[in-house]
Formats: sequence, C-alpha cells, structure tokens
Amino acid sequence: MLVMGGQACVFYGAAEFSRDLDLLVLADSENLERLQASLEDLSAKPIAVPPMDASHLKNGHAVHFRCGTEGAPGLRIDIMSSLRGTDDFATLWDRRTTIDVNGEPVDLLALEDLVKAKKTQRDKDWPMIRRLMEGDYFSSGEEASEQRVELWLRELRTEELLIAAVARYPGIAERVAPTRSAVSAALAGDSSAVSRALNEEQETERAKDRVYWDPLKKELEKLRRGIRDSSR
Amino acid sequence: MSMDPIRAEDLVGEEWAEWYRLTPQERFAESSKLWETYLAMGGSLEPEPDTQSPFFDEEEWRENAGHGRPGVRVLRRGGV
Repeated sequence: MLVMGGQACVFYGAAEFSRDLDLLVLADSENLERLQASLEDLSAKPIAVPPMDASHLKNGHAVHFRCGTEGAPGLRIDIMSSLRGTDDFATLWDRRTTIDVNGEPVDLLALEDLVKAKKTQRDKDWPMIRRLMEGDYFSSGEEASEQRVELWLRELRTEELLIAAVARYPGIAERVAPTRSAVSAALAGDSSAVSRALNEEQETERAKDRVYWDPLKKELEKLRRGIRDSSR
Repeated sequence: MSMDPIRAEDLVGEEWAEWYRLTPQERFAESSKLWETYLAMGGSLEPEPDTQSPFFDEEEWRENAGHGRPGVRVLRRGGV
C-alpha cells in the first residue's frame, strides 16, 4: 500500500495539511481482503460509487470510504490501484520512498510518480506539482545525482528554476531537450518560450486526463443512476 | 542567463522556504499539529466541492450541501 495524494505532498514538502488520505493498493484478492479488514478496524464505511472490488480498481476507478473510528472520525480514505500515466503497481512499489515516522515505516509513491499522478484536469493539482519539484530542488542542495537532475529537467514547472537548472547542468539538459520543449527553450535562453512551453504541457496533459476519465465518468454516472432508481 | 543560485526565500517567500527545509518527519509532525488545531476549531473533513474532479457528483453535492459548501449546513431557517 502506498500513500499518495495530499498526505504524500505533505511528506515531500508541497503541502502543509491534507484532510483526507489517498492510498494506492495492489488489487489482488489477498491484498484486498487484508485492506478490507484494516478498513473494518477503522470502522470505515464506503461512500459513493463504485463498490470496492478488483475489477473497478483495476479499471482505474477510485473507491471512497469514511472512517468512524475514535482516532479519525470522519476521515475520508480514497483507494485506487491504477493511475493514468504511471507504471503498474509492482513497478511503483519497487520505486517507492519509505519514511520512518515514529518508528513505523510509511511507504510513499515515489516523487516522480506522484508528479505524474498529479498531472490531472484539475487546476489545483498544477501548483502542487510546481511545489513538489521546487521542494525537491531546494532540499537536494549541491549533491544531486544525475538521475535527480534529469528528474528536475523533465518535471520542474518553475520557469526561473528550470532556466537555472539548464544553466547549471547543460550536458544533461542537451540530453533531455529533445523530449521537452521547455528545456530546449531554456537552452536557447528564451524565457517567454519556456513559459509558453510549460503552459502547453499543462494543457496537453489536462486534455489527456479528460479523455482518460470520460468513459470512467460514464460508468460512475450509470452506477449512481442505478442506486438512485432503486431507492425511489 | 545568470549562474547565481536562486534562493528559496527569494522565489517562494520565507514561510514556504522554511517548510521546504524541514525533513519529511518534521513536516509530518507539524502537519499533525495543524490537523489537531483544525479539528479543535470545528474544521470539516468533507472535501471541498471540486467540479473539476472526475468523482464530482453534482446531485450528491446538492443533496448534502447548503450554501454551496459541504461544511456549511442550514441548521434553522427563519420564517421569512
């Protein structure tokens, strides 16, 4: 089970607070049974559609719960198993970040995967990506690995920092440039082109996310209609 | 292009720069304090209505929310 969403953003420095908990899980029957038992320990009740089963989770749906336990009354937990634009669960699990919190290991979706997962149609996710990458850039200091620098060059969304990273690591930037217009523009020293390229990236990803969710939204609407019709 | 390092304070302000400097464990501890304060002040755990979310259910929102916010309910209406 991997922590993602707002709570992961707190750990990575992009948010100060999250009112819910988003989890990514392996949707096999054994794991879902364990998850169900944990949710029962939290007195968590399903809210909204769809119901929790492997098929909905594997298709990309999120399942929503609200806790009733004393320690977290009303806390909402959203569970997913598949995220647009990211690898399968096994690969995400191999890449996870594990943090020790008061002696307990907490497994987080890796920063690069969280950034990909945040490339949604929602306005509010884009400033979060910006802060995730800023936080990583500023906290890595002078000891960044080549892999880290590549991540910055692929994902930084702060114009000033992208330009600075390109100037600091021109060799790696040359390598990344064919895959990212904003890096090409930064290499050319054209800051307005960097800004345009960042906006275009955002619009492209938002459009892809809308296309990805269109059939899933139709399924959700059908499930809601079924429930409303049966309760009338 | 300048090669001068950009300082977090200059780019995002002192508050965010300080948050970036914390370790994940320190952020978790600070966030937990905010969580307790938020709940003590009666903060709602209902998500804000997000019309851009694929999970947004317009009918559910209308049924549950008064005045367009899930944390604000009409408890008593006046007679006029």
